[in-house]
Amino acid sequence: MNNFLNIQSLSAKVEDKLIINNLNLNVDKGEVHAIMGPNGSGKSTLSNVLAGKDGYEITSGTINFCGEDLMSLKPNERSNRGIFLAFQYPVEIPGVTNINFIKTALDSNRKHRGLDPLKPGDFLKLIKEKSKILGIPEDRLKRQLNVGFSGGEKKRNEALQLLMLDPSLAILDETDSGLDVDAFKIVADSINSRRNNDSSMLIITHYQRLLERIEPDFVHVFINGSIIESGGPELASEIESNGYERFTDVK
Amino acid sequence: MDMRDSLMLSNLTLDNFDKSFKGSNSLVEERKNAFLNLKKIGIPNKRIENWKYMDLAKITKGIEFKPRGINFELLNKNLKGIVVRGFEYFIENKDQYSKLTKYLDNEGVVYLNLSYAQEASVIEIKESLSEPLLINISCNEDGVSFPRIKIDVFPNVEAEVHLVYDGGKGFINQLTEINIQKNSNLRVQRVNKSSAIHSETFLSYLGLNSNISLVNLSMPKNKSRFQVYNIFLDQHSCTDFKSVSIPYEDCQDDFLIQNLHMSSNCESNVGLRAILNKGTVCSFQALVDIDLNTLSSKAIQDCKAILLHEDASMNAKPEMKIFNDDVVCKHGTTIGCLDKEQLFYLQSRGLSAVSAEKILLQGVIKNYISEDSSLNNFLPKVYQ
Repeated sequence: MNNFLNIQSLSAKVEDKLIINNLNLNVDKGEVHAIMGPNGSGKSTLSNVLAGKDGYEITSGTINFCGEDLMSLKPNERSNRGIFLAFQYPVEIPGVTNINFIKTALDSNRKHRGLDPLKPGDFLKLIKEKSKILGIPEDRLKRQLNVGFSGGEKKRNEALQLLMLDPSLAILDETDSGLDVDAFKIVADSINSRRNNDSSMLIITHYQRLLERIEPDFVHVFINGSIIESGGPELASEIESNGYERFTDVK
Repeated sequence: MDMRDSLMLSNLTLDNFDKSFKGSNSLVEERKNAFLNLKKIGIPNKRIENWKYMDLAKITKGIEFKPRGINFELLNKNLKGIVVRGFEYFIENKDQYSKLTKYLDNEGVVYLNLSYAQEASVIEIKESLSEPLLINISCNEDGVSFPRIKIDVFPNVEAEVHLVYDGGKGFINQLTEINIQKNSNLRVQRVNKSSAIHSETFLSYLGLNSNISLVNLSMPKNKSRFQVYNIFLDQHSCTDFKSVSIPYEDCQDDFLIQNLHMSSNCESNVGLRAILNKGTVCSFQALVDIDLNTLSSKAIQDCKAILLHEDASMNAKPEMKIFNDDVVCKHGTTIGCLDKEQLFYLQSRGLSAVSAEKILLQGVIKNYISEDSSLNNFLPKVYQ
């Protein structure tokens, strides 16, 4: 058992429907894991459970993150310990300025690490630098959080938060959906560029194209709430070519 | 009028309430007529449709109807471009005294003022102002007050007025009239943090190509009624009335906003954001009235209330009376708790539940009160 992210025999249900079924998964530091599965297989539920969203009943199993029982932590505590969920559908928050929100989030994370809030000048320099990498115009930083953003703009904004908060475990829930070809490359490459031995990624996706730019160490096939097969990047290629028929038949 | 109102009003006469009034004979006649109307229709109660959420007759029942003065402070009265006058304005311009009754049917609180008001502040804004006109109104004695403010904005003028209602006891029944002449633009900031029972009737008359925008921060420490009538006298005019309501615990905030589109090519926009804590009640009645011959109107009504306690309630009644097809109108109302998806999103970025809630509520307020607005200084610290 590794001491980074360890999920053992996890089952979770929503309104009496079992969504995660006896799941086992180990993610070590620096590893990139891809989870692929058909619609409704429970991938987003897994990401929500890891991030601490209400509404899921954990019926059995454990989740340990850096030696701590993750399920005993609130969503903000999980974030402050280094877990970041890039949402499939980022919500709009009227009245809250994008840049102010990111500053507040970053200060909260830094406080947990015993660091002072970033000075306004340093923060501005950092966010401009990261925005430039992602091709986000400065005026979008002053807009209300995700309000009136297109699907692609929302996903870029998720990537911006990821780069700013620099978590140790990034969970990307279909971050590639809604992006046009150029934006996809920019976002994927910027995420890939932060790959290092201290941070890990759990990538939920339907398409191999993301995994061509962020090559995973492991690919897991997720059907009906369980991982039914694991392998290397070649598994993603097989799914791209043949779909999930082989796996659903097995199940 | 029911028996309770009759009993209360039977003690009121022009003689015992208004001995000191030294108006012209003609104005005395106006006041007598207003008093007769008042006796006929009484103080509003909840059986009147527009007052269905606030029973003023019941609320004011225990208050002794003795007249008192009110502190009316014009903080920058030497501002270039303004002329300030008192009650004598109405004595000299008696046609202006009851003008507003032309547009309001059977409104008891208006006749109450017209019967008894002894104080008025008439401000003529003759040229564009270099800074906002600052007006504070308060009253710390028991009794009732009938302040009246009339602001006359001359043609081609840009101006801003800040009204603050503070302190207070008893019952304040106020009339505010704003006359905006052609090609003028008036911005109004209103803050109500009064502890008195406060009822204000606010009329704006809009001339050709004129605009009025009002941002209202309402934080009553008692029962408050703010009723607005925007009257489009000529074409190409706009009104934009946005209120943020944060009543104190167990207090009531009641809004009625009517946009009477009597001229073509006009636009009205009404919005309310309410944050309601324990024991608070907020009501929002908005009417857009567009008659058959009024064309190319635009109107929006928008209400959002956040209930922070199970013992808080919101009444919303958006209403549109539209008698022709050449209009663009929309309305929407949402009432509920803070959005759980939004809360989770913020928490997932490291913000505690308390901070996330605070940020969402600040966001609700910032919809209407921008970060650079001086209204922020009046907000409770938690929302700043």
